[in-house]
Amino acid sequence: MTDTNTRRITLELADVTVRFGGLLALNDVSFRVHENEIVGLIGPNGAGKTTAFNVVCGFQKPTSGTVSFPSIGRGALKPSQLAKAGVARTLQGVGLFRQLTILENVMAGAQSRPGGHIGASILGMPSGLKVERSLRDEAMFHLERLGITKFAAALPGGVPYGIAKKVSIARALMAKPQLLMLDEPASGLDEKELAEFVGLIGELRQTMSVLLVEHNMDFVMQLVDNLVVLNFGQVIAIGTPSDISTNPDVLAAYLGID
Amino acid sequence: MTWPGSFRRQETTHVRLLTVLGLTVLTLVVTFFLPPVADSQLAGGAAITIVILGLSWLIGWSGQISLGNSGFMAVGAYAAGIWAHHHTASPLIFTFLLATVVGGISGLIVAIPSTRLRGPYLAGMTLAFAAAITPLAQNFTSVTGGEGGLFFNTLTTPAWFLHFFSGANASINANAQWTADLAVVIAGFMFFLMANLFHSRSGRAMRLVRDNDVAAELMGINLSRTRTLAFVVAAAFAGLGGSLFAIINATVRPESFPLTLSITLLTLMVLGGIGTLSGAVIGGIIYSFSANLVSHVNSLTGVNPTSNLGANMQGIIFGVLLILTMLFAPRGIAGLIQRIRSFIYSRS
Repeated sequence: MTDTNTRRITLELADVTVRFGGLLALNDVSFRVHENEIVGLIGPNGAGKTTAFNVVCGFQKPTSGTVSFPSIGRGALKPSQLAKAGVARTLQGVGLFRQLTILENVMAGAQSRPGGHIGASILGMPSGLKVERSLRDEAMFHLERLGITKFAAALPGGVPYGIAKKVSIARALMAKPQLLMLDEPASGLDEKELAEFVGLIGELRQTMSVLLVEHNMDFVMQLVDNLVVLNFGQVIAIGTPSDISTNPDVLAAYLGID
Repeated sequence: MTWPGSFRRQETTHVRLLTVLGLTVLTLVVTFFLPPVADSQLAGGAAITIVILGLSWLIGWSGQISLGNSGFMAVGAYAAGIWAHHHTASPLIFTFLLATVVGGISGLIVAIPSTRLRGPYLAGMTLAFAAAITPLAQNFTSVTGGEGGLFFNTLTTPAWFLHFFSGANASINANAQWTADLAVVIAGFMFFLMANLFHSRSGRAMRLVRDNDVAAELMGINLSRTRTLAFVVAAAFAGLGGSLFAIINATVRPESFPLTLSITLLTLMVLGGIGTLSGAVIGGIIYSFSANLVSHVNSLTGVNPTSNLGANMQGIIFGVLLILTMLFAPRGIAGLIQRIRSFIYSRS
């Protein structure tokens, strides 16, 4: 459990509304993610979880309301500005680059780092090579940390799904994020892999905040500090897993219990 | 740190440079033994190799289709030609640099409206650009020389090089070989630059955008800037290749760069292997000696070279080769060589 009163705010959504024509995808959604906090965004299908993620990432502009990253000192960001600002996101599925090796996929996570200018690259200057070499070492460090070094030279299509999931996390970690956004991290994983992921994400919270969208309630309940429950684009509850599990509105709307 | 086998040998610029230098010197030695006609063909092939390097970068690495590379070649050729026509004493290196920069600028002009287009729409846009170049060259007579084109003779064989040759045809042999050597050295240098680019972070950015543009954007890549960069580099390479073509032939004319050349370039790239450095060289070599191949096929089949069928034999041969490549070696000859090499290594 985290004491959110004393921690800085990493992400804040304030009264965010998103309309797609006549459809109200998000309706006055407000929540916060604090430093070193794990927040789960849950809700039934079509509740607006992915739209909320897309708003945070700048893929979707809100019709009204604001998104900000107070601890980073930034307002709304474009997708291409996220990595540099310290916000990393994994995609639903795995979203790896299928024609790049696993090692290159992980290195891609640091694409926005300074250095590696095209002028130096085309001439093969030592500065560009040095940067590339250090990225390669760092990518290998993350692969080693996740115990998947032996897949470094493989293509994503040739590795098991659970490994590909780990690669997408390793890639996100290359951005040295202050906020890690995980889109359905547990989907497609077996029990052993799920347990590993719980341990891994628990470790990551030492250095960053985590916002995740997830359907696997067992996974979410044992991992997060706070839950934000969406239904029909509205926040119907915010609280700790134990609060949420007994919240009558959540039971009615999300779990279908009256 | 435990490195997997394939990553133990780290490629460096020095290794790359030495490999390219070795291959360039080897080719220069070969030119000594080739007849003048073959040397001239090799020079043309070197120019085409440079263009295919750029095209392979654009299509193979950034995933953007272009049917306008003959247009970028024409821009470079005219930039070099107009400059060389008026400044005969200007150093060749300046002419080539100018053509490269002007080619790159033409790529930028095409890229800015094209970055939002994909697939057939982008192909159409680039095709329209290439189609517009010939009428422009035909009509701006005071600058481009119109239908007759421009003539210039800036490629002079240095006196020290002539000393290596003797006999009745010494001058012809020396000129042909000097031209081939110059083209090979420039192609070797451009190969080195592209090899660096392929293995750089910019090269990786292209592949990220090609494979998954949403994920690439999340990695911090500006999609339109990256796509524009791909076009600029490809057009700069095409501009240089076009200028080398013009300087080798001492002329540039509107019909030097027809639309069919864009298709030929694409075919050569696919035959060699899309997105591979060696594929560009293979494409250039095929282009160099395609005239010999055509003449062999004409004589084997008894087709009169001056007939309509004979005149179009190159297109027919390239078409058949393209179909065979797509069926049996989709990654081109370079991919086929790679497969054979892997097979041999796996058995040993």
